[in-house]
Amino acid sequence: MRKLAFTTALAGAAFLSLAGMAAAETVRVTVAEYSSKTGPYFEEAAKAFEEANPDADIQIEVVPWDVLLQKLTTDISGGANADLSIIGTRWLIDFVEQGIAAPLDEYMSDEFKDRFFPVFLEPSVMDGKTYGLPIAASARAMYYNKDLFEQAGIEEVPDTWEELAAAAEKISALGDDIAGFGLQGKEIETDVYFYYAFWAHGGELVEDDGTSGLDSEAAYKAAETYKSLIDSGATQPGVTSYNREDVQNLFKQGKVGMMITAPFLSNQIKEEAPDLEYGVAAIPAGPDGDRGTYGVTDSIIMFENSENKELAWKFLDMLFTTEWRAKFTEGEGFLPVNPEVAKQPAFADNADLKAFTDLLPDARFAPVIPGWEEIAAKTSDAVQKIYLGDAEPKAALDAAAEEINGILGN
Amino acid sequence: MIRSPLTNPYVLILPGFLLAAFIILWPLYQLGLISLNEVNRFGQLRGFNDAENYIAVFTDPDFLGALWRTAIWTGGIVIGTLLVSVPVAMILNDDFYGRSIARVIIMLPWAVSLTMTAIVWRWALSGESGMLNSGLQNLGLIDQNIQWLARASTAFPVQIMIGILVTIPFTTTIFLGGLSSIPDDLYEAARLEGASRWQTFREITLPLMKPFLNISIVLNMIYVFNSFPIIWATTQGGPANSTDILVTYLYKLGFRFGKLGEASALSVMMFALLLAFTILYVSLAMRRDSK
Amino acid sequence: MNKKLKKSLLYWLLLSPLIILILFPFAVMFITAIKPSNEVLAPTWWPQEPAWRNFIDMWAVTNFGNALWNSVYVSVLSTMLALAVSIPAAYAMSRFRFKGQGFFRQFLLVSQMLSPIVLVIGLFRLVVWLGLLDNINSIVFVYGAFNVAFTVWMLQSYFSTIPKDLEEAAWIEGASPAKALVMVFLPLALPAMTVTAIFSFINAWNEFVIALTMLRRQESYTLPIQIFSLVAGRYTVEWHHVMAATFVATIPVAIVFAWLQRYLVRGLAIGAVK
Repeated sequence: MRKLAFTTALAGAAFLSLAGMAAAETVRVTVAEYSSKTGPYFEEAAKAFEEANPDADIQIEVVPWDVLLQKLTTDISGGANADLSIIGTRWLIDFVEQGIAAPLDEYMSDEFKDRFFPVFLEPSVMDGKTYGLPIAASARAMYYNKDLFEQAGIEEVPDTWEELAAAAEKISALGDDIAGFGLQGKEIETDVYFYYAFWAHGGELVEDDGTSGLDSEAAYKAAETYKSLIDSGATQPGVTSYNREDVQNLFKQGKVGMMITAPFLSNQIKEEAPDLEYGVAAIPAGPDGDRGTYGVTDSIIMFENSENKELAWKFLDMLFTTEWRAKFTEGEGFLPVNPEVAKQPAFADNADLKAFTDLLPDARFAPVIPGWEEIAAKTSDAVQKIYLGDAEPKAALDAAAEEINGILGN
Repeated sequence: MIRSPLTNPYVLILPGFLLAAFIILWPLYQLGLISLNEVNRFGQLRGFNDAENYIAVFTDPDFLGALWRTAIWTGGIVIGTLLVSVPVAMILNDDFYGRSIARVIIMLPWAVSLTMTAIVWRWALSGESGMLNSGLQNLGLIDQNIQWLARASTAFPVQIMIGILVTIPFTTTIFLGGLSSIPDDLYEAARLEGASRWQTFREITLPLMKPFLNISIVLNMIYVFNSFPIIWATTQGGPANSTDILVTYLYKLGFRFGKLGEASALSVMMFALLLAFTILYVSLAMRRDSK
Repeated sequence: MNKKLKKSLLYWLLLSPLIILILFPFAVMFITAIKPSNEVLAPTWWPQEPAWRNFIDMWAVTNFGNALWNSVYVSVLSTMLALAVSIPAAYAMSRFRFKGQGFFRQFLLVSQMLSPIVLVIGLFRLVVWLGLLDNINSIVFVYGAFNVAFTVWMLQSYFSTIPKDLEEAAWIEGASPAKALVMVFLPLALPAMTVTAIFSFINAWNEFVIALTMLRRQESYTLPIQIFSLVAGRYTVEWHHVMAATFVATIPVAIVFAWLQRYLVRGLAIGAVK
């Protein structure tokens, strides 16, 4: 009799635990890897959430950026995507048009909306609905090497492209392996590096009439500026074999006078080259005072086919509290997207970050149009040809503009 | 002979056939299907569009460039490997001090994943921070850094060289096997008749090696044609698509631009091309007698 | 100087350009691996102070142990699968003449012609349909299948060189085909199977594209994917750890080669390729 009762109790307990497990809801999150800190951060957040919500099971899947789009493509095509995923906001339009991303407005209370700087929420709004939350935001500014400036006798940080050219030549004259201006000519954002000069000369990526802005005076002048920098030896040699990371590596070694990149370089310098004397300044302006910086956000989206939207939202809610945001933003070296985070001393007192945030009013984001990846590739191809001297600026840019118009027109 | 399932050849090959077929035929079918449809960037079919995808690929100027370069890439590596592996195999077949060590070294590239090999080379080829340049400078061979990966004229040959280096282990192994199967008496007889080394090579070694040469050419052709990591990790097919071969062009088309329909069409075309070449080569160069 | 010594010197001289080119990437790997993190970016050929610690740090930082185990698991199992399926098939191909034999052979060759990149989406859907996503057993299955062509070809070549008479003698003495197979044939075929197994193992060990597509969580990553994830798309790459990991990943296979190289000469494809 006792044995029976015991067995029943055991079975009952087993059943209950199974039921308990079945009741645990799983939320899968695809996380794009920024650095070695990304994975651990999200794992920590997941654990904290699970402790506060015992029925929840958060699974973090870390994916390297280079293969993120490939992975998402295969996942979605197989109906095996996660519930949440980080994506580049420039991809958002495809996700929205194909009904992949779910609108988030029903979950967003006014209080939630107020947690953000409006400028960062805007890129994710389409047709009046919000499809993603800005999880990372960045802009670009110019880093310069104070030691090299001193050695070359440069007293004022260049503020126009003309001044930059002069300063760069002086710095390059310092030695064989020293370059004045670090120019990126390879892989992702090669086109953006070109845009810094393009915008400074008054260029617009997409003109009002909907055609490409590459066949304009601004573009020709910008290309000629870069080409003359290359030809006069003011940049590192072999521009087209340097991606952004390569140029950053040169800068960290103290071999480059100036380069344009994102806030995370400050963090890297602190860890890898703490003795480097550097400063952060605005991206140079053009003859008419125009200047532009590249604003980038990455968004976290919820998939329309997610079966655990409520729970996924709860996790998002937690991720976007000040404490967790501050940790992420600081660890990765991004710009704060939440006003409360921006007020924290780590950010408010950060001189480097100030240079970036000062540029935000001039921030241009990648146009939210389908086919942007292809357009960026065509632009990169064209400027690479120009850098190599395989094509004249006007010819290459006009040809690219024509191809891009074809893509825009579709 | 006693009949039993174990002596029925069809039963014996069935599991192997099924396994291979399952993994190949279904994806191939999917590929064909996607190539004939209009498909969004996530692989969701949106309706038949006949041969539009194929035409779009065909008329893309980058396609022709990639096609031409694929021919150079494949030919360069296959023939280059052949030219190196034959003498190397002959040396390794002979008895000399340290032969085992030499054999292990020649096989080493096989021990590393192709992707990692490519990444290490890319790291070493960096213009200003790469150890190849610093090594060459230390040896006094160059006095200015060469920007290896900056343009196709320097990058592509280097990529082909890397391709040859990683193909040598496999090819040398095959040739070693072939060489070891040539009976020594033949060489003895030739020596007694006063044949020169070159004559021996041409009249005895080469003809008997022919089957091995052929099989290595066919297999290498197939592997090299589709080889992705080397070019991708070093230049991503750039700058400006100047080092693109068909398979890197395919990757960009499918996973960067999201044009899965065209990418699938291209895959089918690549497969057909490879198939045609192989059949051609096999029928011309190889006389098959099934044993 | 005796003749062999002269010959050896000559041979080493002739081989040296190739050997230098082959050892170059390994030298780069090793030297970068022992550089302290602030010297990693400098193209020096020996660090000022070798940081042997890197090998130890790398183990934890790159989650090496786990990825290593996954790689071992996948490579061993897929090899066993491929062998289990291809031994009977190769036996059939080498011992019997039957209709469809040529077709089967062509089919195997053709199956090698599709690059995994090309098959990735279809393959992925297949795996999803089977519910095996992110399960390293799905990788075992796929690798095994892809390797079948190669293993059948290799085994068949070897098997053809084993004379039939021994088995036939066994049959005449009344042994069943199964018994003849196990007692007579298999022992003779053992070297062949060993070599084939090792090739299949290496293919699986180094495979990249399929694992990248099918595996999602860090815990399931195999070694190539784990190392790749350290390099791909991060804002800054810890090269000393990456190189250390790559170097260490090479060691097991290199050891296998050292042991294997005597087998390779004997018997690989005697009469194989006809």
